[in-house]
Amino acid sequence: MSAVSVRRQFADTMLAVGQRDTSLAVLVGDISHGILQPYAEACPGRYYNVGILEPTIMSMAAGMARVGLYPVVHTIAPFLIERSFEQIKLDFCYHGLHGNIVTVGSAFDYSMLGCTHHCYGDFALLKTLPNVQITYPATPMEFDILFRQSYANHAVTYYRLPEHQHGVEFSESDIGVGKAVKVTDGSDITLIATGPQLRTALQAKDNLATMGWDAEILYVHTIRPLDEDAVRASVAKTRHAIVLEEHMRSGGLGDEVLRAVRGVPEFRLEYLAIPDTFVTGYGSYDDHCEACGLTPQNLVDTVRREFGVRK
Amino acid sequence: MANKDLRRQIVDMVVSGRSGHIPSAFSIVDIVTVLYRDILKVDPANPEWNERDFFILSKGHGCLGLYVNLHRHGFVSDDDIANFCKKGGILGEHPDFTKVPGVEASTGSLGHGLSYAVGIALGMRIQRRENRIFVLVGDGESHEGTVWEAAHVARNYQLSKLCVIVDWNESGMQLLPHDDLPAKWQAFGWSTLVVDGHDEVALKMALDSVVFADENVPTVILARTVKGKGVPLLEGHGMWHHRIPNEQEYAQIMEALA
Repeated sequence: MSAVSVRRQFADTMLAVGQRDTSLAVLVGDISHGILQPYAEACPGRYYNVGILEPTIMSMAAGMARVGLYPVVHTIAPFLIERSFEQIKLDFCYHGLHGNIVTVGSAFDYSMLGCTHHCYGDFALLKTLPNVQITYPATPMEFDILFRQSYANHAVTYYRLPEHQHGVEFSESDIGVGKAVKVTDGSDITLIATGPQLRTALQAKDNLATMGWDAEILYVHTIRPLDEDAVRASVAKTRHAIVLEEHMRSGGLGDEVLRAVRGVPEFRLEYLAIPDTFVTGYGSYDDHCEACGLTPQNLVDTVRREFGVRK
Repeated sequence: MANKDLRRQIVDMVVSGRSGHIPSAFSIVDIVTVLYRDILKVDPANPEWNERDFFILSKGHGCLGLYVNLHRHGFVSDDDIANFCKKGGILGEHPDFTKVPGVEASTGSLGHGLSYAVGIALGMRIQRRENRIFVLVGDGESHEGTVWEAAHVARNYQLSKLCVIVDWNESGMQLLPHDDLPAKWQAFGWSTLVVDGHDEVALKMALDSVVFADENVPTVILARTVKGKGVPLLEGHGMWHHRIPNEQEYAQIMEALA
């Protein structure tokens, strides 16, 4: 696993891209201020730690896009996506403007801070908006590549930065916006994982094999546009799939996968996701994963319960 | 009273389109008229002219007051006016940036325009451009917290190319009467002027007096207005906010605007 956090990579990428492209401007809501200082110093006048007023920061970013800049808005997911949703919808999306939304604190990454600092409906919300790309880069390299590919295009791109990485080192050529990564080949079941849950899928693979399930693992860092071809091809081959995601069961990657595999005959699909209720507990990230069933053991149990043992 | 012709056009559009906010448009039409006639640097032949002034009507439901001025200055056509709120038309009950030449922002959901304008002003500063940005907000709209978030940011960043005009017709005070707008804007550190929003000479003097110099504080002009101004039947806060006049009422309105 990379020693560099995805959040640190965000700051490093801002520095690198901002030095090359004078149209990049970064607005933050009083987080990541320290790690963004190299960018702020290298790109004077294009960094603003605006304050605790996320909807206005979002509208400001849209206004900056209106005059041709490439804005990046960054703060904690619930405040930037849920509180500022109408600003994203109207000021960015309806106006047809481009922009970049970078969050930390999605799902239950702020594991001990309670409901106010959780955000596990963000994919569902943003999927209702036209012209939004949704990414979940769970390694530094993924963020760097996805950002460079997207920041100056015509979309609003959401980068959901996780606190925890999945631990797989991909080659740079594997990563591209809208392209799923086949992590392992398999013939009997497709595990479709996004974010840190790729690790859960990998940890369950051997146990699944002992039950006769040869797992093909697809890693999805871009929820929208989803690599429907890759998903459909794999499920058409295995006819069994489980989606793993740190998002509510409703409206997340699972729903996108279901749409992608329409027309595939006789397939079975299950989900490991956050239940459609509030996460009320405290504890570590792993404690929350355990409570939500996002564990290798529950993955194995789900396969046994829903699909059976093949040998 | 000025702009009777524009007010008559507004009423005719509402009757034709079977929809519209007449009193809100009458409240701002004198302000918008002065802006387009005397203040704004804009080019109807090139609405995206790089050196233009920006005007954002944040209280989008007053858009008829904007449309008649866009028509007068050649941004929109006779057909556009005739097709107000009709299938295939570009003019609806809220201004649409994606359809209407000269409209800088799609507004209607209150509390967006000023924050958006702050971003434009900041973007202009980054790009070392001198464009001025005028934003018209309502006093009812100023219930929205984002108005004050934006005011707070604009003052702290000294966005002196930004000028806010408040259509102060006391709509907001119908619900929340303890509301000292001049004190609030002054408390936020803005240069604050109060003017009669239906006196074109006073409006022009106030707008001409705004100092758009770098590193100055931004200016707000609180324009005292009357909702439905010019037609006693329509003036005030009540059922006329969103109502189409019948034949008898239409005649009464037109007589007042003769």
